[in-house]
Amino acid sequence: MSLVAEAFVSQIAATEPWPENATLYQQLKGEQILLSDNAASLAVQAFLQMCNLPVKVVCRANAEYMSPSGKVPFIHVGNQVVSELGPIVQFVKAKGHSLSDGLDEVQKAEMKAYMELVNNMLLTAELYLQWCDEATVGEVLEDVDQCCQALSQRLGTQPYFFNKQPTELDALVFGHLYTILTTQLTNDELSEKVKNYSNLLAFCRRIEQHYFEDRGKGRLS
Amino acid sequence: MAAPLELSCWGGGWGLPSVHSESLVVMAYAKFSGAPLKVIVIDGTWRGSRGDVPILTTEDNIVSQPAKILNFLRKQKYNADYELSAKQGADTLAYIALLEEKLLPAVLHTFWVETDNYFTVTKPWFASRIPFPLSLILPGRMSKGALNRILLTRGQPPLYHLREVEAQIYKDAKECLNLLSNRLGTSQFFFGDTPSTLDAYVFGFLAPLYKVQFPKIQLQKHLKQLSNLCRFCDDILNSYFRLSLGDG
Repeated sequence: MSLVAEAFVSQIAATEPWPENATLYQQLKGEQILLSDNAASLAVQAFLQMCNLPVKVVCRANAEYMSPSGKVPFIHVGNQVVSELGPIVQFVKAKGHSLSDGLDEVQKAEMKAYMELVNNMLLTAELYLQWCDEATVGEVLEDVDQCCQALSQRLGTQPYFFNKQPTELDALVFGHLYTILTTQLTNDELSEKVKNYSNLLAFCRRIEQHYFEDRGKGRLS
Repeated sequence: MAAPLELSCWGGGWGLPSVHSESLVVMAYAKFSGAPLKVIVIDGTWRGSRGDVPILTTEDNIVSQPAKILNFLRKQKYNADYELSAKQGADTLAYIALLEEKLLPAVLHTFWVETDNYFTVTKPWFASRIPFPLSLILPGRMSKGALNRILLTRGQPPLYHLREVEAQIYKDAKECLNLLSNRLGTSQFFFGDTPSTLDAYVFGFLAPLYKVQFPKIQLQKHLKQLSNLCRFCDDILNSYFRLSLGDG
């Protein structure tokens, strides 16, 4: 979204409450959806659940083409359409919902830094594995391991990254890790890397249980 | 007895030991970790062909790219992160990702893509340090490389306009600078009293932006308002690089 459009959307967003019929669009599950897109969609779903904002998930084969930016997932809320986690977080904030308001400036900086780390390393890994670039698999796996180690250290024994309350960082990490753990790939090495970190596994299970199963959304498939 | 370590890198100017971010990151890390580097500044006699510096050369190894060079130095027991906790080590990785994704594109743009800056400052500076005829080719190549790097992280289908990308990358960079300033606060370094890898990276990325005199300086102006970041750069320059630096 251009900067001007972003400001405009924020203005309009502020005036209307969250509607009952908000919808999230992603590609069809199964063969069509890419690893990275699946992670992105899960992250947004987790984020909205954490904010207590109901959304209906709709799978469409042409979701990418429906999206204003060409990126999935996107949400259709009232008469506005917003795509990708970053802009969606801003949009939701304009409506008065935020997960990170309670953080101080230093914590906010940390949160953004860790989100970049996840984008940098896990997203890249997912992209590489999708396109099966054999030559770089070793390096990619090492990066994933380093990233998971960092996330595991940062999480420690806390339930969420900033202790008791989840933030968009938790949503993003969940989206990626859950996708990596549950998607069938020809090569198991990526999910094995994540499985080495028990607190990260517990973290995923906790979010799945609390924000998806308990809300009657059923187990994520 | 370790074999001598030689670092080939771009030279200095405007009070800096190097005007090139990646070279500066390595030079700062070496100072912080006590690694005895022999710095070989690229000048008119340099015969390297690809502009890949900084490059670390030892008896048996040639290592390029700052992250790999720092890893190599750590393995040789030159470790500036010795006192960091595991969490601080994790934070380091995260902040470096932030710098590379949010700050670096705008720094590259300021040096290599913004037309006035590139033609009046960057290109002449680099061209004067590269032997002919490479001086005719290499700066242009570096400029294209910078543009590609920016578009790689920012240009997105279905369409991108350089203007749109430019506005976004400067917005992101300013936000990143604010975040760094908040994180640093009144501390001397990012993790207490001794400098570590993260300090080397922040210094490497910020110092050229802070010191090099460009015609188009919107990001520099923003940085100069963040006095703790400026103090951070000046402190490192004064403490670790106090030599007779001629402006090159």
